[in-house]
Amino acid sequence: MEYKNKEIRDDEIRIIGLNSVSAPKASEAGRGSRRGWLTSLVSLVIVADIGLACFFFWPKKGEPGDVEGVFEQSLGQSPATVAASGRNLFGTPVTDTPYTEKIDTVINDVRLSLYGPQNATPVLYVGNPEEQIHRGALAFQAADIRADNKEILGAFVLKGQPLAWGLSKKGYCAIIDGKVTVGVSENSPLFEEATEKDGYFFRQYPLVDNGILVENEPKNKTMRKALCDREGEIFVAVSETDESFHDFAQALVDLGVDNAIYLVGSHTSFGWAVRRDGTRETFGSDDHRTSYKNESYIIWM
Amino acid sequence: MPGILVISKGTELLRVPTENLVYIKADGNYCHVHTRFGKEQMVSFQLGQIEDMIEDQLGKDGINFIRLGRGLIVNTDFVYFIDITRQCLVLSDCVSCFFDGEDLKASRDVLIKLKAYIDATLNNNGI
Repeated sequence: MEYKNKEIRDDEIRIIGLNSVSAPKASEAGRGSRRGWLTSLVSLVIVADIGLACFFFWPKKGEPGDVEGVFEQSLGQSPATVAASGRNLFGTPVTDTPYTEKIDTVINDVRLSLYGPQNATPVLYVGNPEEQIHRGALAFQAADIRADNKEILGAFVLKGQPLAWGLSKKGYCAIIDGKVTVGVSENSPLFEEATEKDGYFFRQYPLVDNGILVENEPKNKTMRKALCDREGEIFVAVSETDESFHDFAQALVDLGVDNAIYLVGSHTSFGWAVRRDGTRETFGSDDHRTSYKNESYIIWM
Repeated sequence: MPGILVISKGTELLRVPTENLVYIKADGNYCHVHTRFGKEQMVSFQLGQIEDMIEDQLGKDGINFIRLGRGLIVNTDFVYFIDITRQCLVLSDCVSCFFDGEDLKASRDVLIKLKAYIDATLNNNGI
């Protein structure tokens, strides 16, 4: 059966049999009134869509701290606009060199830094990142490490080679043919696909599943990091203050993130971002990392 | 075959009378089909593919089924309670509760539109 692949967002609904009703056969002409109200209903839903979109995303003057407006202005340009202006989604001129754009914003009193890799393809890396530190444009620690034996926690595939098979967390990230997929599932066929196509796969706490907040057991507060997919745009969100899982995930939901999983958090988890002018911002501490041979990183290069 | 949804792939076939089909929930590349009497079956199709099957097999009878965002298809005959403020959707036949939002919460925007849709159907039927 051919899959029609009709897109739908998480704030949309679709009446499945509507196409059949709106194009009735001649014998169904007597059902005109039913078709009429359906047409009205579709109009109503479309108008409601537009209204909601305007309510949530219309830039509000006099609200410089309005985070949705800031994010929309910087990330919400159409491809046509981008092409015409010669600027990327972050509003800066296009270049071929890998680098990282950064946006600082505030969502529900949660201060976030959003790191968007540009001209870069992500890979996973395991071990001491010394060899990569001057290559990657953006890097964060990916999978957690087991406390008991220091092995990688959860299923993990490195360039087609499975290194771990456990299911401890339902969130996953798959990188196959350079395409990043962030999702939540106990059984993802992308694990097998990653092994077949020299891809990458790791698991982490799920934070946002199709626009819905996912609750997690740990209740402590610390610096949080997340790999996010917002309408196909992949970026990393980092909390600038100590936050609970719940508050951090809620901020991502309110940001409009479709899917997000956790990245190794705390103030010590290591990583870096190279800005357009070549300046390097590092995160956390690298004091401990050489002691963990199974420490993993997602690196855009 | 009106009134019966057939989901067939490889060596498996699932056949569900639509009057007993309560909701279908996405799980990555799979779906869980939930029926009125507590049966749940996982099928190896994406939710969009199931949506296409409903449209192709049921035609206008598929109008009872609504896609709610990316994660859910519900049979509106079983929509029992919507609370937009609490972001709550309950699916029930008034005997058994099939879905109370604990398993998967629909977004607030989706609930607003679902309620508007059901309100509109009532108004247009003169109820």
